[in-house]
Amino acid sequence: MLAFLVQRISQAVLVMFVISVIAFAIQDGLGDPLQQMVGMSVSLEDREALRDELGLNDSMVVQYLRFAGNAVQGDLGTSYFYGKPTLEVISEHLPATLELVIGSSLIIMLLSVPIGVYAAIRPQALMAKLFMGVSTVGISIPVFLTAIVLIQIYSIGVTVAWFPVDTGWGQWLNGALSTEGGLPSYGRGDELTHLFGTWYSGFFSKNGLLHLVLPCVSLASIMLPLFIRLIRAEMMEVLQSDYIRYARAKGLSAVRINFLHALKNTMLPVITVGGVQIGVMVAYTILTETVFQWPGVGLMFLEAITRSDIPLIVAYLMVVGLIFVITNTLVDLVYGLVNPTVKLTGKKA
Amino acid sequence: MTTATLSRWDRFRDSFLWYSFKRDKVAIVSFLVLLLMVLAAIFAPLLAPTDPYDLALINIMNSEMPPLGMEGADPAFPLGTDSQGRDMLSTILYGTRVSLLIGFGAVVLQATLGIVLGLLAGYLGGRVDSLLMRIADVQLSFSTLMVAIIVGAVFKASFGNLMFGEIAIYMLIFIIGIAEWPQIARTVRASVLAEKKKEYVDAAKVMGFRTNRIMFRHILPNTLSPIFVIATVQIANAIISEAALSFLGLGMPETQPSLGSLIKSGFDYIQSGSWWITLFPGLVLVVLVLVINLLGDWLRDVMNPRLYKG
Amino acid sequence: MKSDTPLLEVKDLDVRFAVRGGDLTALRGISFSLDKGERLGLVGESGAGKSVAAFSILNLIASPGYIAGGQILFEGRDLAAMSERELRKIRGNRIAMIFQDPMMTLNPVLKIGTQMVEAIKAHRRISTKAARDIALDKLRKVQIPSPEKRLDQYPHELSGGMRQRVIIAIALLLDPEIIVADEPTTALDVTIQAEIMALLLDLCEQENVALMLITHDLGVVSQVTQRMLVMYSGRIIEQGPTREIINDAQHPYTQGLINALPQMGEPGARLFQIPGSMPSLKNVPSGCPFHPRCNFATDQCRQTMPEYVHSGNVDVACYEVSNLIEQEKRMQEAGS
Repeated sequence: MLAFLVQRISQAVLVMFVISVIAFAIQDGLGDPLQQMVGMSVSLEDREALRDELGLNDSMVVQYLRFAGNAVQGDLGTSYFYGKPTLEVISEHLPATLELVIGSSLIIMLLSVPIGVYAAIRPQALMAKLFMGVSTVGISIPVFLTAIVLIQIYSIGVTVAWFPVDTGWGQWLNGALSTEGGLPSYGRGDELTHLFGTWYSGFFSKNGLLHLVLPCVSLASIMLPLFIRLIRAEMMEVLQSDYIRYARAKGLSAVRINFLHALKNTMLPVITVGGVQIGVMVAYTILTETVFQWPGVGLMFLEAITRSDIPLIVAYLMVVGLIFVITNTLVDLVYGLVNPTVKLTGKKA
Repeated sequence: MTTATLSRWDRFRDSFLWYSFKRDKVAIVSFLVLLLMVLAAIFAPLLAPTDPYDLALINIMNSEMPPLGMEGADPAFPLGTDSQGRDMLSTILYGTRVSLLIGFGAVVLQATLGIVLGLLAGYLGGRVDSLLMRIADVQLSFSTLMVAIIVGAVFKASFGNLMFGEIAIYMLIFIIGIAEWPQIARTVRASVLAEKKKEYVDAAKVMGFRTNRIMFRHILPNTLSPIFVIATVQIANAIISEAALSFLGLGMPETQPSLGSLIKSGFDYIQSGSWWITLFPGLVLVVLVLVINLLGDWLRDVMNPRLYKG
Repeated sequence: MKSDTPLLEVKDLDVRFAVRGGDLTALRGISFSLDKGERLGLVGESGAGKSVAAFSILNLIASPGYIAGGQILFEGRDLAAMSERELRKIRGNRIAMIFQDPMMTLNPVLKIGTQMVEAIKAHRRISTKAARDIALDKLRKVQIPSPEKRLDQYPHELSGGMRQRVIIAIALLLDPEIIVADEPTTALDVTIQAEIMALLLDLCEQENVALMLITHDLGVVSQVTQRMLVMYSGRIIEQGPTREIINDAQHPYTQGLINALPQMGEPGARLFQIPGSMPSLKNVPSGCPFHPRCNFATDQCRQTMPEYVHSGNVDVACYEVSNLIEQEKRMQEAGS
């Protein structure tokens, strides 16, 4: 177990190093920081003096080492736009994104397992085929489109007038298909509960929760079908294996066979894939936050790009890289603990 | 005893691929729809009533006109106009063309990169393998969309808005291609590692063939079958990636609209009620990606040797 | 000898596979019976249908297979017509199964103890502790060292032979009447095979458990079973006391099988082979399925499936045999 941790941590350090080099290289290529900080009216000599002072004329290696040294101490530069340390800006925006991810993950976990298992045990049932059909369509709809459609339907409202308005059934159908909207689609609302530090939560007030609904559903909409399909496919394969037939031969109940014998084996590859999907989810949060103007790190990153706020961009990459490395290591750890055939010496059985 | 040699067409007709295609209605419908869209995209200049790229033709007075069937519609613009006065039908046709171009282009690039690097990693092993797989791992953990966004952002900032806009199509093909090579490379590498152990490789080595030849002419053909399935799905992914990038402003510029940027501009005007600017391109995008995904699913089922059940 | 009401009686069992283009028949009206404590061997090449026969007893044939006709009478009730709920009460409880490959049979992510206790608790209302005690008792019976440790181990931590011992222990947990063993030693090392087989034989004798042993290994059959039946292409072509069949096989196919054993050949001479191979389910020959490979085949063989004739204590389905018996009878009558 210790050997496993040591190996993974050293791998993580290596990856962080690579990421930091890339982030630093990007910083270099993204334009002249001097231009951002001072205007055009500064004279050439003053500029050169400023460059020297800022250490911009030193060699690449020295600049990188300075960058890395600062990073390790928690200093990732100061944002041009906000005028504050980048880590501060990030920590102010991070809780919003985290809540978005937590909300969506809850939806995904609660729905994907029952639906996926059901579709696997009764593949011919009408409901199962319906779920799978909707799932296939679901993964073909990009997350921002779902978000926009949801906003149109539940926030702005849709008035349907396809059916003749002078008939009773026409009016009823029109009414049934129309929506009033009303769900908030902008930002997090103003009733956030302060938990600690920079974490203001939307989970503890009605207004906050209402604001969370559409964004979380949008984000979940792209990942839920993926997991449903995955769980169904894995479970169907597991159900063909010898040990399931043997469990039947022992006279075990269907519930026990499906939900213990089969499900435990099914979830193992799902954990692995789930780990990879975390990275995908972070990318999708950028899209979702853009649509809902959700003040999380995704929106922050995008705005930083538009504003050429280089320190913030670089800091975001470093932080996101760190988060990925930590979550991937955690996922591997969880997988190793749950799967008895994996010996946690760093090798897989 | 002689056997008649069948022509390629005859062999195809006899093959399991064709047999199972004929029987799968979903596959047939998907393929036809895709064919229709591809043809429409190829012949867009002939089919579109106006040329949406021609700035001289666009009249801002025409902006936000609704599609036929609603008040204020103009038959010259059957699907309405967008915020700048461009005909929706034409823009969608050209936009589909852009999406398909980028989709296929990006996949060709990532397949080439992925196959070459996967072959190298698998066959040469050692440090080359370690290095390549380490890079692939980092890229994959960031998720390809994230990588595309980052690379896109960097390029846009480096090249500047104007120049980026001019070469946007090639940039996007390049960006998405680079972002997505790891998956194909990994699959190829796994196949190579499995094939390496087989005897025909030893035989080739003993006969003195050079490494290149062994890799490309002997091992590669045996690793191609899963690649076809992946490539199909990747086309759909590339199209979505381009749409996402354009939606974020990191993709096609305003002057060369793609389905993604159309959706974006539609979103900006959604509060004013011009839902058609978002909905029509959105529908086209979804249908396009859906049929490609369905074909990919069918292909995966066909290539899966276990599925011979009744 | 044979009692009046056998423990298990299979009558005209018909098993088919529903595939594209029509159904394929895997078992064509087979009939046999099993007495209490009796050990029966099912012998045949791969594809003969012996595994299908074994799985059909508890209706565990993998889809698209299904029981198309016939009866499987166990203690007077027809298993083929039973509901899944009723069958579940019998599976593992009155009739237990041993599969071929213990690594694939035990669930890799559950402990041995879990998999043993659950088998008991599925059929008896007792505490987990009591169930564990029973499990330990059976583990000792199969001579596994340190049984307490095993309960908390996972399948991959045990060797192949030990895993199969665990499977045998699980089969014995509820003191079943019948154990159906499908090639129990094929997946094991040759050195372990004999041990496991001997263990199985001992336990069946001690506990008076009936054994249905499916195997392609004639050597094992001759040592372990009291009666045997030979299957070819979904049919039983010869059945009777093992000793008699091994010593004096009557059906040409059985003769071929026995002659093919290396022990039967002379040192330095070519080994005997039955020419040709077993037909697949799609290409079943007309009449007697063995006729394409049979030296004695006549037109009659090609046209209709022979009925069983009684010869000694053995039932054989072969025109050659029935003709020979006819001839003998006529000669006897003529002579007297």
